[in-house]
Amino acid sequence: MNGKIKKVYVPMTESAFYILFCLQTPQHGYGISQQVRRLTGGAVTIGAGTMYGTLSKMEKDGLIRFYSEEDKRRLYRITELGREVLETEIKRIERLYKNSKGENIDA
Amino acid sequence: MRKTKIRFFTIADYEDEELWLRKQHQNGWKLVKMTSPCFYTFEECEPEDVVYRLDFKNGEQTEEYLQMLQDFGWEYFFHLFGWLYFRKPASAAKTEGEEELFSDNTSRVDMAEHVTRTRLIPLMVIFLCCVIPNLINAMNGVMGRLSTFFGFFFGVMFGIYLFMIIYSGIKLNRIRAKYKD
Repeated sequence: MNGKIKKVYVPMTESAFYILFCLQTPQHGYGISQQVRRLTGGAVTIGAGTMYGTLSKMEKDGLIRFYSEEDKRRLYRITELGREVLETEIKRIERLYKNSKGENIDA
Repeated sequence: MRKTKIRFFTIADYEDEELWLRKQHQNGWKLVKMTSPCFYTFEECEPEDVVYRLDFKNGEQTEEYLQMLQDFGWEYFFHLFGWLYFRKPASAAKTEGEEELFSDNTSRVDMAEHVTRTRLIPLMVIFLCCVIPNLINAMNGVMGRLSTFFGFFFGVMFGIYLFMIIYSGIKLNRIRAKYKD
């Protein structure tokens, strides 16, 4: 992961996190939004414009790539680089969570 | 029945335009098309609360993009100079978030910056490279007998451009500031 990717995606927005997380299984934009709704009990909604913009940006930056096309809908899936970024984010969020519960992280 | 309303919105007024169009639909007038710079054609309809949204894509909209918007329940009905017009009945949105094209501030700031880059900056280039030199030429009488006419014409253009650039620049900056964390 180079400096530019790190600067843009660590930390990433909540929508970006959910989009990248969901793309561990190939799917299209609307599918992702439905999955996010289920995962979060409706607490997180991703707008169509945000979805499209984030997918385009992530594809350009190599975090996800085109997987296949179904009736004009493009399906994407996460790349190796995407996994690396996602792992980094998950570790960061775990640290936040532990610290918020009063736990310290051992160096 | 159809009617045309005159209303001028600059490139920085898209949020106001959305609210205005929503209000028209609540009053039983749905937008059919818009003719530059300020003519809105409406068609009479059942009054309904319909959310209007504008996106700026500058000719980059793909089939995939329109399909995705449609999947999210947006009716795409018109585009003009890169501005895409979408609408969705408020009753079809289960949450407030579903009434938005952009669900986080990052993408709202991106939109304002996209408009600044692709619309405001070219306006400034035309102003500096065309309007001002022509106005100076006309004032110096370089254009012969037509100098008075061109002087007047470019004088008016100067005023319009100056107003548009300052007004839109300030407003786009304000939109960016509003959504920046």
